[in-house]
Amino acid sequence: MDLGPFDADNSVSCRLSSHIPDVCKTEDCCLGIDEAGRGPVLGPMVYGICFCPVSKKDDLKDLKVADSKTLTETERENLFQKLDEARSYIGWALQILSPNTISTSMLQRSKYNLNALSHDTAIGLVQYALDSGVQLTEVFVDTVGPAEKYEEKLSQLFPGVKVTVRPKADSLFPVVSAASICAKVARDRVVKGWNFAEQLGEVDSDYGSGYPNDPKTKAWLLKYLDPVFGYPQFVRFSWSTAQTLMDSKSVTVHWDDDDEDGEKAAQRQNNRSMLSYFSASSGANDQTPAHQPHRFFTDRRLKSLDAL
Amino acid sequence: MSCNSNVIRVLPPVGQEQRVPVHLMPCEIEHNGSAQVSEYFTATMKDRKHEKTVSFRGRGLKGQELSCPQGYTGLVLKEVNKPGSDQEDRTVRISSVFNKLTYWNLETPPNSDDTIVMAMDWPELAEAIHGPVDD
Repeated sequence: MDLGPFDADNSVSCRLSSHIPDVCKTEDCCLGIDEAGRGPVLGPMVYGICFCPVSKKDDLKDLKVADSKTLTETERENLFQKLDEARSYIGWALQILSPNTISTSMLQRSKYNLNALSHDTAIGLVQYALDSGVQLTEVFVDTVGPAEKYEEKLSQLFPGVKVTVRPKADSLFPVVSAASICAKVARDRVVKGWNFAEQLGEVDSDYGSGYPNDPKTKAWLLKYLDPVFGYPQFVRFSWSTAQTLMDSKSVTVHWDDDDEDGEKAAQRQNNRSMLSYFSASSGANDQTPAHQPHRFFTDRRLKSLDAL
Repeated sequence: MSCNSNVIRVLPPVGQEQRVPVHLMPCEIEHNGSAQVSEYFTATMKDRKHEKTVSFRGRGLKGQELSCPQGYTGLVLKEVNKPGSDQEDRTVRISSVFNKLTYWNLETPPNSDDTIVMAMDWPELAEAIHGPVDD
């Protein structure tokens, strides 16, 4: 697994993949999908697919792959090694969603939530397998949301493929366990060796699991809080943990699409809100400027200035 | 709008005048002072074709460089002593100068309709309106 392409620019989303085994292009194949790092406030979320011929399902089972969460890091690394050795019939692909991608998507003007992002990523990976010539007949998906609707969506998108969406699919289907191992191994390696684009000098890498309730993660988030910029891109700004800390310890930042009370926003910008025209005190025309500047100036937000 | 007739004195910079990168942000930051711009912001900026990208507080920004109009120089001024009342004269010192800046939009690619780009039309127009007339 070469993480080089992601390390080169860890602010964007990145796809990594194995060679596609020839047998997967000629025989009916099954494919598993799972994710790693959905909950943490730090680091990327990694989506993984793993696929092999249906006829090789038992061989995959014999590798003793299991749900990645029940395994230690060393066990996962060893199992990934085994999957790699079986490259003549097992293929995999990963989509690494950088924390910056997660932040900027979730905080977009037209909000793009984590579920939609997850679904689109999973769909993109299945499409990648199909485009690469993998003869897919069965797809198994682990899900956190409602399974039935998701299953229906995927079945419609990929006619001719039998789609099975189940909670905890990673412990039910070996091909999903294999996908979860690929995803988790990638996430662990990326988090461990995170290449900070910011010039922060030597960064303390003792950030714990990255889950918001981990005391080590909490301490790290306090230590690396900047009053103006908030956090390095390693942190998911869209997580309430990060938001709460910034609200209390960083300076306030206002955006034009903030859910702010109109009256308050106008006051802050020293403008008159619509409501002020209805209040008693503003009835007099003493506040009306002598002349309105031409639209040329208002369009360009140009004002003549006689004081600083 | 207050109509002050008091004087604003602009002092030259102390020593060599400094050229610093200037960024125009699409948000209001309630902060007046120094910030680790090169460490957090410049270091994570990406240059792709005619568009620069960066993120600030988890929000995606797109921007481009913009030159000051011909014959104009941008000044960053710092107040020397804050006056006690608005009747007093004010003194500011040039802390740095710039002839280009980078402006940023929230998610929108930079384009010729951006306010700041259009604002740069004014000096040329002002010259046409107010400049001396050739016979």
